[in-house]
Amino acid sequence: MIEIRLHGRGGQGAVTASRILATAAYEEGQYSQAIPMYGTERRGAPLTAFVRIDNQRVRERMLVHEPDISIVLDPLIAKQQGVVESLKAGGIVLLNTAMAPEEVKLGGDFKVATVDATTIALEVLGRPITNTAILGAFVKVTGALKLESIEKAIKKYFPGRLGDMNIAAVRRSYEEVKGPIQAVVKSGVQEKMDLNVGGYGVLKDVSSWRVFTPEVDVDKCISCKACWIFCPETAIQWDEAKKKPYIEYNKCKGCGVCANECPVKAIEMVRVEV
Amino acid sequence: MVGNKAAATACKLARVQVASAFPITPQTTITQYLSEMHANAEWDFDFVNVEGELSSQVVVQGASRIGARTFTCTSGPGLLYMHHPMQTTGSGRLPVVMAVVHRSYKGMQPDHSDLMSQEWTGWGHWYVEHAQEVLDSILMAYKVAEDPRIRIPIAVGYDGYVLSYTAEPVEIPDQALVDEWLPPNKPIPEVLPDKVNKATFGRGFGGEADPQVPWKVHHDAILKIEEVHQEVMDSFEKTFGRRYGNAMIEPYMMDDVDVAIIAMGTIAGTCKAAVEKMQKEGKKVGLIKLRSYIPFPVKDFQEWSKKLDAIAVVDRSICPGKGGPVYQRLRETLYDMKKRPLTLQFHAGLGGKEVRVRDFELIGDKTLKAVKSKKVEEPVTWV
Repeated sequence: MIEIRLHGRGGQGAVTASRILATAAYEEGQYSQAIPMYGTERRGAPLTAFVRIDNQRVRERMLVHEPDISIVLDPLIAKQQGVVESLKAGGIVLLNTAMAPEEVKLGGDFKVATVDATTIALEVLGRPITNTAILGAFVKVTGALKLESIEKAIKKYFPGRLGDMNIAAVRRSYEEVKGPIQAVVKSGVQEKMDLNVGGYGVLKDVSSWRVFTPEVDVDKCISCKACWIFCPETAIQWDEAKKKPYIEYNKCKGCGVCANECPVKAIEMVRVEV
Repeated sequence: MVGNKAAATACKLARVQVASAFPITPQTTITQYLSEMHANAEWDFDFVNVEGELSSQVVVQGASRIGARTFTCTSGPGLLYMHHPMQTTGSGRLPVVMAVVHRSYKGMQPDHSDLMSQEWTGWGHWYVEHAQEVLDSILMAYKVAEDPRIRIPIAVGYDGYVLSYTAEPVEIPDQALVDEWLPPNKPIPEVLPDKVNKATFGRGFGGEADPQVPWKVHHDAILKIEEVHQEVMDSFEKTFGRRYGNAMIEPYMMDDVDVAIIAMGTIAGTCKAAVEKMQKEGKKVGLIKLRSYIPFPVKDFQEWSKKLDAIAVVDRSICPGKGGPVYQRLRETLYDMKKRPLTLQFHAGLGGKEVRVRDFELIGDKTLKAVKSKKVEEPVTWV
């Protein structure tokens, strides 16, 4: 049995990625199981999902606690030692990061592979949804599944042009992945970050969730308060003296609702490089 | 497909005529799939949107009374809200089938406290393990519920999240085969509104009639589910090639064991993996998966008890101040036996707490220890 753990954020498609993997395994005549860890997840919140692949019906119905493979869809989460926690000795961690495997600071007895899935997703899909963009790398690095079964599974979830675009992302990540190499660092530094956040208001700082940061052009702003009304995280505050909004960036998760709602396009979403 | 999709697909295969449900996590996606299927006109049925679970139960009740095949579904607190009309569905002998996607009263994660708390409502109560079993059991539930000997509503319970949202391969039976195996529901004249027979309808008694009769008729009909359920399981296997034990229980690796673990729902799957591991290590522990809580497989457990030294009951629910329902039901079942095995009570998975293979190993070890010392030192354990 192969056990896989996926780390991502709400909106990056970790749950869909887990289902594509399970469906692809089924396409190859194997049994599989894709378990999402559902709570009250929301866009941007760190979350996990799990996959089991076996040649008989999977009976275990619990989360994966000692994965063979860990897949990380988010570049900031990829820096957390937690993503390799209880990874089986000799296992593989596949990270979405622009770094080369040699530069990765995660420590332990496992192999590391990296691919810049965010850039691939932005260039191919136009959105930072990295779930499919990392699956090509998964195939190349692990050899656990065939590329054509992943592509078949993707067509089931995304018919038509969307499927073709996602398949293009898969093929590009298959070509661009680096590694796997044995982890350079022997023991990593344990950082304190919850890799599965359920519920609202549990974190004071959600700034690390952002792929894009909103920037307000106060000259264009017409003081209509639309952004202030629609911000789901109450990150937009109102400066009563200037009659202009300002952003409390520690509360902003970069969802872009404000930029979308602004009638005069005075808010621009700028990509954060990590 | 995920467990909830399997439930919705079963409705399609059974050609349900009227479905009504109010969305509640983790049942929500069943209503979503059914709505999509209705929008795409995948088959001819009515989906009735309602403002709450009480109404959804009343809608399917009315439709069932005039002979439609009906379906509803809910979870946890939604099921509680349905409590009152559920009684009427049972009393009315209406063969409604309902999926109960387990959700704890204390928190949103699954345990069996929702369906367990409805044990007095006069329904058949089944508990299933995986997505394939969800689909197959809903089909079988219609065949059993609509049998003229039964005419009792059946609730098929399965765990939320870890089954309702988990994707796994499910074999979808051929529609033509299902049509042949499950012919349309035929209402029995006795329950039609204009021909109410007081002996079965369960309401409106007065005058000289014995008010206890409807209770007895209802009780006897539920007890008859055991026999019909077993017949239906045999015919299901003949037609579709799959079966789940003898319908009431599904023994797993029970040859030559001293100890049986009783578990229900998804954790029975995890227990299968644990039992395999334990037997490889030479521990004589097997699993009896309990599929039907009401009616309770009394004969089966009495037979098994003759071969066993101890039974460990894993209850995923508790009646506070009273204890685990399966444990208590099992003990009263064994009371008449000359030789009684030791019984141990384990509470596991309450409030959605994860139950792992190692937890079942602990349960097995503790029970084996009791067998060795021939006494139960600690009857109740919270895993």
